[in-house]
Amino acid sequence: MWQRLRVSVLVLAGAALLVACGGGEPIPTSFPGLTVIGREGYLVSNLHVYKFDAREGREIWRFPSAKGNDQPRGPFAGQPVVIGDLVIVGGSITLNGAPDPHLYAISASDGSERWRFLPSPGAKEFADGVATDGKLIFAPNGDHTLYAIDPTAEDGQPRIIWTFTAQNKLWAKPVVADGRVYLPSLDHFLYALDAATGREVWRFNAGASIASTPTLADGVLYFGSFAQKLFAVRAEDGSAIWESPMDAWIWCQPLVRDEEVIVGDVKGKLYALDRRSGTRRWTAQVGGPIRAQPVAVADKLYVVSFDTYLYEIDLAVAANEGRKPVRRVLENGLNRRLLSDPMLVEDALLVPLFDGDVKLIAVDLRSGQKRFEFPPRTQP
Amino acid sequence: MNVFDLLIVNPMTNALMLLYGLLGNSYVLAIVALTLIIRLLTLPLTLRQQISSIKMAAMQPQIKALQEKYKNDPQTLSIEMRKLGFNPFSGCLPLLIQFPILIGMYQAIIRTLAVTPLSLLELGSHVYSFLPSLAQLVPIDSTLFSIFDLGQPDRFLIIPILVVISTYFANKVMTPPTTDPTMQQTNQVMQWMMPLMFGFFMLSTPVGLGIYWIVSNLVGVLQYFITKPQVDRARALHAAAASTTGAGAASSLASQKPLFEPPRSKVQVKSTGRINRSASTATREKRPTPKS
Repeated sequence: MWQRLRVSVLVLAGAALLVACGGGEPIPTSFPGLTVIGREGYLVSNLHVYKFDAREGREIWRFPSAKGNDQPRGPFAGQPVVIGDLVIVGGSITLNGAPDPHLYAISASDGSERWRFLPSPGAKEFADGVATDGKLIFAPNGDHTLYAIDPTAEDGQPRIIWTFTAQNKLWAKPVVADGRVYLPSLDHFLYALDAATGREVWRFNAGASIASTPTLADGVLYFGSFAQKLFAVRAEDGSAIWESPMDAWIWCQPLVRDEEVIVGDVKGKLYALDRRSGTRRWTAQVGGPIRAQPVAVADKLYVVSFDTYLYEIDLAVAANEGRKPVRRVLENGLNRRLLSDPMLVEDALLVPLFDGDVKLIAVDLRSGQKRFEFPPRTQP
Repeated sequence: MNVFDLLIVNPMTNALMLLYGLLGNSYVLAIVALTLIIRLLTLPLTLRQQISSIKMAAMQPQIKALQEKYKNDPQTLSIEMRKLGFNPFSGCLPLLIQFPILIGMYQAIIRTLAVTPLSLLELGSHVYSFLPSLAQLVPIDSTLFSIFDLGQPDRFLIIPILVVISTYFANKVMTPPTTDPTMQQTNQVMQWMMPLMFGFFMLSTPVGLGIYWIVSNLVGVLQYFITKPQVDRARALHAAAASTTGAGAASSLASQKPLFEPPRSKVQVKSTGRINRSASTATREKRPTPKS
């Protein structure tokens, strides 16, 4: 009897190990992305791309459709880009590291696939989507290469215009402005490239990986790195204006608001710095990593965190010993990790959820209550 | 942050990164070094498990006799087994304690290799802020011989096969011999089942964890041979104690220094005839004669 018990215990322990370490339903490994144009919302979330009514939460289409495709698609990640009638999204990476290395163009009208493009045989994941200047799309890839692609070059089919190869993975979307592409890389550098040719104009060493998109304001790029620093760099020549020490890695696109730069770190601390000098003005602490860019609405600041909560900070309230108080908007949270940039639509904040069946929740900022969930629960 | 992360995963994660930096940015060497450190730290547990297995194996005849005698009275059987000093979990418990270490190692490898953006983000929140230089090591170089990506499953199946072989070899070497047919059968099943289970598990887990498991097995075998003289001595003593019910064996045992000495407050005479060397003579004389 005891022998059987012992064998059973070992087998159960083994089974527990297997359950703990692998298997289960596929969970996302990259971050959802949301774009809102007028009333139309486009959401990239794990295995699907959705178009929905951004005011009411009604689903318009999803890709791949419920009917399914012959070939598997996705997972997808990053903010979708809309050019004309095309919604451009990138394939991402699965839990065990297998990538979908394709770019997809989906019809904004009906959600059908216009093209599926493999930029090179060695391409890997598009972990943070793509950027655009309105004509070309700039697609950073896990194979260290930025692909500049004309999405409708040859009879509506894509064509690579130029490529630029960094020394490590490109996991953050670049900023495109004034004929330049500002490309962050995990190889510790921020690159400035000529948008027409891909020629390197300058590079800036941030001391460690850069995994978030810089913010460009008045000719200055603000960005953080894993070196626990926030940088202000002149976009013109890549010279440093200031660098400010942080307490943890920065994986959050800074928000520039009036005279402040506001950014969060991966240990849940929010910092407001003087935009000119980089001096710390105040901080606030939330319960989990901050990856999403904060949203300012009048004198309120909204921050979402890994710990499932949406936080509100009253900017009019003075900081106590340098620290501002934070308030949870929904006391019970949104039940899922919040890692993607929310967007303001009228008086509602649309918050993409990292995982689960509900992909997005709209929070009414006046009442502090949920306005709708997407996809609506009544739909299949 | 949960306790498991705080006590197990975070120290392992940071240690792995620190070793990676110290060992010339070689992730495989970092895994090997951390495995050696873990094996060293868990050496008392491993030895306790081995001794416990030996004790249980030596007790089998007495257990069988008790089971036969009290087959219709499970409550008394349970009491008598306890008196005998039999604990079915004593062999498993140290093994089970090692599972959190394995799971912690798995999570540390997944985090440090950071194959996905989510795992890299999680790495950031678990790296100690007071070691900012660790951030410069990110992302970890996860290639090995330009063939393997340590963060992904092995598509050539080399690592799963090596895991099966090394686990089988380690089990074969380290499983204590037993004369009990049931135990022999169990051991035979386990010797095949465990390697196959781990091999199957490795089909979908990163190569890095497979390397940890292979190195851990090899170090375990090496450790076994180093500690073998002590273990053999313990085996001989327990075998003698189990087969002899007289005071001779007891006094023989009493004259030997045990590998692990229990706390004095728990010292008591066992009805098996095995006597702890610290038991008093008066108590020893009152020892009941085993009925088997």
